[in-house]
Amino acid sequence: MNIELLHQPDSAIARVVLDANEELVAQAGCMIAMNGSINASTTLRQGKGGGILGGLKRMVAGESLFLSVFRSPISGGEVFLAPKLMGDLLTYEMKGQELVVQATSYLASESGVDIDLGFQGFKSLFSGESIFWLSLSGYGVVLLTSFGGIYKIPVNGEYIVDTGHIVAFEKSLNFDITKAGSSWLSAFLGGEGLVCRFKGQGNVYCQTHNPGAFGSQVGSKLPPQ
Amino acid sequence: MDYEIRYKPAFAAIFLTLNPGDRITAEAGAMTSMDGKLTVKTEFSGGFIPGLLKKFFGGESLFVNTFHNKTQQPLTLVLTQSTIGDIVGVDLRENSLCFQPGAYICHTPGVKLGVRWAGVKSWFSGEGLFKLQVRGQGKVFFGAYGGLTKKRVNGDFVVDTGHLVAYEPTIKMNVGLAGGLLGSMTSGEGFINRLTGTGEIYLQSRSISGLVSYLQPKLR
Repeated sequence: MNIELLHQPDSAIARVVLDANEELVAQAGCMIAMNGSINASTTLRQGKGGGILGGLKRMVAGESLFLSVFRSPISGGEVFLAPKLMGDLLTYEMKGQELVVQATSYLASESGVDIDLGFQGFKSLFSGESIFWLSLSGYGVVLLTSFGGIYKIPVNGEYIVDTGHIVAFEKSLNFDITKAGSSWLSAFLGGEGLVCRFKGQGNVYCQTHNPGAFGSQVGSKLPPQ
Repeated sequence: MDYEIRYKPAFAAIFLTLNPGDRITAEAGAMTSMDGKLTVKTEFSGGFIPGLLKKFFGGESLFVNTFHNKTQQPLTLVLTQSTIGDIVGVDLRENSLCFQPGAYICHTPGVKLGVRWAGVKSWFSGEGLFKLQVRGQGKVFFGAYGGLTKKRVNGDFVVDTGHLVAYEPTIKMNVGLAGGLLGSMTSGEGFINRLTGTGEIYLQSRSISGLVSYLQPKLR
């Protein structure tokens, strides 16, 4: 599989070239163009993170119930994928480690990657973001999407990220939902609300903009429905 | 303090490195990510009463956060705005700059945040009764929806109110209708801002109100 990212960073799309009988799993509805020879099917996926239960769990996480699977019978089959929001794309190589992905940031992955609903405990309930995160494991390339640019922070020690700006993080990191400053009062008054405090060693991927913040800025000016 | 504005112009974000002892004050909610060792303190923006004025009449938040590096090593901090678009950093040398609501992002110590009476006309055109004004010695960052154009005004200049982001207070504003009452409504220009004086202004290439009025009829 060969993945090429075009139009980075403000309106990135991915051009994926598949070898014969290779499979690409993608978020339903993100295909914008493909070769006529490619077989597209919808799946709930079997195995870990698959089946009806897995699909329902993904739906709870804010992803679609179904995933699309693109399979090329010939070598060189092309699929173009695009996220809905303006922003960047990132390819991440899974080599057996676990990656926790904010549910709306998942775009596509190779078939060797298992997608499961990672319930991050009750602490994520208070983060104000979706309660559920996707937990990816296995082998292969993953495509992630962001609102704004994506930047990588190699954490060694402690690092704080606003909950609305997390794209993904490696499972080797521990995290706490906490306050940015020293007092709880200032956490709420200061507008930062709750933040994610990562501890340990591993990479965090952040997005420069918060879709929720932009959405509420525009949305607050729109008439109620 | 070192900084770099990355992902210009569509998704600009300020990547700062604070050296030991450095401080920066930012609008509430501007922090994207930071080193765990930075000390964060929340305070009223420019004091209690000016803070309240800004909140209720100027469209800014009541609180600001100060990030302080109390350690012995450089620490990183990323700040951004809620809209997508460009960010500019300006050096102030005892001069001052006024901001439209929402434009201000952060400033270094030495810069003071204040409020300035904008006038009843400004309030009627939806721009707030008070304007945020920064003055002093240091750096101030502000952002826009879309790209930022810097323009030196000398004499008379007319701008659309929704596109003016920042201006020097040496410039007088006079908000009014673009033409006659009928002409203003039919041309779609609405309120315009007639500037007089000498100084610099910053214009944004798009406006949130423009996006909102495009989206409004599409909602079902």
